[in-house]
Amino acid sequence: MLAIRFKAMASPCEVLLHSPRRGDALRLGAVAAAEAWRVEGKYSRYRDDSVVAWIHRNRGSEISVDEETASLLDFASHCFDISDGLFDVTSGVLRRAWKFDGSNRIPDAAAVARLLPLVGFDKLRWQSPRLLLPADMELDFGGIGKEYAVDRAYDLLAAQYAGPFLVNFGGDLRANRPPPNGPWQVGIERPDTDQTAAMVLDLERGALATSGDSRRFLLKDTVRYGHILDPRTGWPVPESPRSVTVAASSCTEAGLLSTLALLHGAQARAFLEDQGARYWLVH
Amino acid sequence: MNPGKMNLAVIVAGAMFLSGCASLGVKPWQRDVLARKDMQLSAGSIDSAVDDHLYFSKEASSGGRSFAGGGCGCN
Amino acid sequence: MQLGADTRGVRRRLVAATCALLTASATRSQATPRASIDEMLSDWRLDSALAYYHEDGRIQAIEPVVSVSRDFGDGETLDLNFTFDSLTGSSPNGALPSRKPQTFASPSGTSLMLAHHSYTTAPGELPVDPHYHDQRFALGADWTLPLTRLTRVTVGGKFSDEHDFLSVTADASIAHDFNDKNTTVSLGLFDENDSLSPIGGAPVPLSDYALFEKTGHKSKNGAGVLLSVTQVMTRTWLTEFNLSADRFTGYLNDPYKIISVIDDGGDTVGYVYENRPQSRTRRSAYLENRVGWERASAALSLRYMSDSWGVHSATAQLNLRQWNAERDKYLEPTARWYRQTAADFYTPWLLNSAGPDVTVASSDSRLGAFRALTYGLKFGMKLNDKFGRDDSELNLRVEYYQQTVESAVPGPGSLQGLDLYPSLKAVLLEIGFSY
Repeated sequence: MLAIRFKAMASPCEVLLHSPRRGDALRLGAVAAAEAWRVEGKYSRYRDDSVVAWIHRNRGSEISVDEETASLLDFASHCFDISDGLFDVTSGVLRRAWKFDGSNRIPDAAAVARLLPLVGFDKLRWQSPRLLLPADMELDFGGIGKEYAVDRAYDLLAAQYAGPFLVNFGGDLRANRPPPNGPWQVGIERPDTDQTAAMVLDLERGALATSGDSRRFLLKDTVRYGHILDPRTGWPVPESPRSVTVAASSCTEAGLLSTLALLHGAQARAFLEDQGARYWLVH
Repeated sequence: MNPGKMNLAVIVAGAMFLSGCASLGVKPWQRDVLARKDMQLSAGSIDSAVDDHLYFSKEASSGGRSFAGGGCGCN
Repeated sequence: MQLGADTRGVRRRLVAATCALLTASATRSQATPRASIDEMLSDWRLDSALAYYHEDGRIQAIEPVVSVSRDFGDGETLDLNFTFDSLTGSSPNGALPSRKPQTFASPSGTSLMLAHHSYTTAPGELPVDPHYHDQRFALGADWTLPLTRLTRVTVGGKFSDEHDFLSVTADASIAHDFNDKNTTVSLGLFDENDSLSPIGGAPVPLSDYALFEKTGHKSKNGAGVLLSVTQVMTRTWLTEFNLSADRFTGYLNDPYKIISVIDDGGDTVGYVYENRPQSRTRRSAYLENRVGWERASAALSLRYMSDSWGVHSATAQLNLRQWNAERDKYLEPTARWYRQTAADFYTPWLLNSAGPDVTVASSDSRLGAFRALTYGLKFGMKLNDKFGRDDSELNLRVEYYQQTVESAVPGPGSLQGLDLYPSLKAVLLEIGFSY
């Protein structure tokens, strides 16, 4: 078993390969890393040379986006419809009011209310490949970027390597087949600091994605405000689980389900049951 | 030890062994050493096959680890 | 999103949307599949060996073995193996040494007079048939299919063909994991059918050797059960405990073995063919322990067997594998200790004064009381860079095996002073390749 490790999307990433040829292991690891860095670079909101930065520089004008960005926007559009607006790639503007630094400074209602008109995928004009993003609105693919990168890296490796492998970008992962000795053992961190033992799942194939608020939250008057905000209200969803892990056949699907589950707050479990998903919740 | 007592000892040992099984073991993430090739119970199976054939043809016992029975006319 | 009506549709539409996204990106991808024979081979394993066996002054054998395994994923596996062995040399015929020369006919012979079908043993020597030769071809297959995540079924078959013996075996077993896969219990059954076509025909049991009374083909059948419990004890220690029983019925004799008939003075007056009971039931208990350390692993196994012929045996074997610092070479010394008691009807000779009461008797040394020691050393080397797979290996093994007869009864009269029970000493050399 060989592991190729690298850092991407602010997370530790690794590719696990069972019995590869030595030269192939490095080549396949490089393929996965290159794809992770490519997706990160292309859709990062922190980089001036990213596609997202370019879209933001051209707000108010109609632009033609490339094929990959077009398919991501199509996907975002479908998810916006399917989730009745819970999943919204334009909700990034709310960051201007919410700073999740573990402190007790929550924004006042007026500040959030001022930002709400800038949120809503239905407010931009999208007809593939032409996009018109109104002034002051933002696009943020952070909600699906890592999971999409896992699926992309997975597809590239699957086309070039027939043996068992697992791609893991910071806990969002996908495997094609189990190694001969048994399933992949995946440790899921428990968000509480007093729990040292991880929960371990047996994964034979498919993807796992985890959404949670273990690191980014605010705590005021014993109420915990997770960093996943409901785009329709501008506020975090009350009583949401601390962490949701979902298994699905692709990482993007698993990631969407785990994010939507968190957005259902107290109804997270019922939502996941309704979808017939395999999931693990931590409250 | 006569054969009857030996049989009883084996059965008692077996039962004690099985009853103790439920509390033993490791967590899934502690299987690193157990996953090694040389720790598999089927490890060295070609060597065992060659040796078992040799011992079957020279001795009166066979099997134990796997099915007894010869499969060859050498005994 | 409202819960209730048609929220199931959410997942369905999400899966469709995800598929559309990922298929679009995949078709855009520039990478072309580079599936090659080498990558397809990563699901296959090959283990092979060539063994050479040499007994001091007796049999020699060459045995190539090839085993191929395929892992289909999901826990489904297929194992196929092929064995070929070729034996030549001298094989003891069961008769005792004598102070006078002795002449015997080869199994195909019908008379002691025909020289090319007979052989003579010098005084004091153990009678051996020097023309012994045989070739055997065997095939085996095992297929394992998972029924559930924790249960699997294995079915297997074996086929072995040699000049005078044909064997077909079928087996099936079911295994289930408990306790987080720390405990595995399996139950297996096997059924074996053998047909014998001894060269020259099967002799009438206990008939006079010189009369060459032979009949035709014979057969025997066996069936047995194996119960196995495997338990992970600690992170570095694994244990297996098996209980098994089997019963064989039919023609269980060795058609070529004879027993010397002697008079009170120890002189050989004739020979008769042996006869064994027509059924044999065996029970055995087996315990194996495997322990792993950072650069070494050890396997200790113990077996106790007892059967309805009065044979009980005990076996103990220890293998200790030690790796070098880079973990690409190992040395594995092994030692085995074995001891068995004699069958009830084992007798080194028959007294001619004993009369016709004897119904079962055999002087086959393999049914006598003896202990055996094996010492072995194996050297293995990983071949990563040459073949690309990180578990390819070349290995060399040498073993020395020695049997020493116990409770040897000294012969009466003229047999005194003769070595009636010479030790068996043999060497095994094996070269192996895994990929």
